[in-house]
Amino acid sequence: MAAPRLRGGLIQVEFSDDELCGRIAERDANAFELMVDRHQARSYRLAFSILGNEADARDVSQDAFVRLYEAAGRFDGRARFSTWFYRILVNLCIDHQRRNRWWKRLLPLAGPGDNPDEPAFDPPSDEAGPEGDAMLSQSVRRLRPALAQLSPQQRAAVLLQTQEGFTSREIAAVLNCSENTARVHVHRGIAQLRKLLRND
Amino acid sequence: MAAKHPETELVPYLRGGLGTDRRALVEQHLEQCAQCRESAESASAILSQLSAAVAAVPAPDWVAYRADLRSKLLTARGEPADARGRSRSAVFRIPAFGWPSIAIGAAAAAMLAIVLVTHRGSSVQAPGVDQLELQTDIGSADVGLLANYRVVEHLDLLENYDVIEHLDELAPGDHQNHEASS
Repeated sequence: MAAPRLRGGLIQVEFSDDELCGRIAERDANAFELMVDRHQARSYRLAFSILGNEADARDVSQDAFVRLYEAAGRFDGRARFSTWFYRILVNLCIDHQRRNRWWKRLLPLAGPGDNPDEPAFDPPSDEAGPEGDAMLSQSVRRLRPALAQLSPQQRAAVLLQTQEGFTSREIAAVLNCSENTARVHVHRGIAQLRKLLRND
Repeated sequence: MAAKHPETELVPYLRGGLGTDRRALVEQHLEQCAQCRESAESASAILSQLSAAVAAVPAPDWVAYRADLRSKLLTARGEPADARGRSRSAVFRIPAFGWPSIAIGAAAAAMLAIVLVTHRGSSVQAPGVDQLELQTDIGSADVGLLANYRVVEHLDLLENYDVIEHLDELAPGDHQNHEASS
């Protein structure tokens, strides 16, 4: 049920994700805009963390919203909306990475950084300004290439757990696996990160 | 409990994602197992670094992001996207007049081709009658009809054409029957 809220002297009706999704299914453009407002930052951030560069994160997270628009009528409300939507997003990220690896194997003219066995992440630029340097701490600089060496499922599981605060059950729903498998993905991902960072 | 390390439950434990019973069991195990305590401590450090990494994700230009998204959505819906906000995938968008118009045009061209082929085919498959002789007969019949215009002006024109059209099917008896009936 839409919850009325007082904001700036005006009563605003705030719709739940499920309600907005229902309106999107009826092709309500305003509902779609509201939904994008609500989820764009999180979805972009997650896509960036999985894919490792701005252009791909932007492209894939936008594609996820287009899929949301197209498939809103198929959301039955049995799962949480965020679980359903992040499943779309994570699948798109994993597909995107698979496609990229395939292309990179086919292109013999690829540069030294394009080896599919190397991390897919763009290394943080050393030419970033002082603000960028402040933002990217040393630990983050080391963490990103290490994250890139995890399997797509491990990386997605670790990031859903840490960034989005998803429970094991929700991670399982996003990755379409059992809850125990989701926990194993998180455990192995963290163990692998620990090993990589120790050796770094 | 000490025999089996709760490895996959350490992160949920650290994130507060375990139920009361499981949490108590993991706590009990950690008190007894130095190896798992070390694992939990290093996992906790990794989780902190991951949280810092989230804060370091650079935000895009949201205005451009939304313009690009709108353009992609229009493309997905088969509507022409704004040229200024065109996305990469929009390069392959369909023409402004849309696929239905193309389909109708193609269907019309196919119909025209079928009609032409059928028409051509029917002239090729005409009955084995000497065309010149038939045309001469029809011509003389028309002249005869014109000579007796007063008589024929009361005849049913369609019936006359029907007879002409099926001249090759007429038998001698049919001609007599036709005269007798008229």
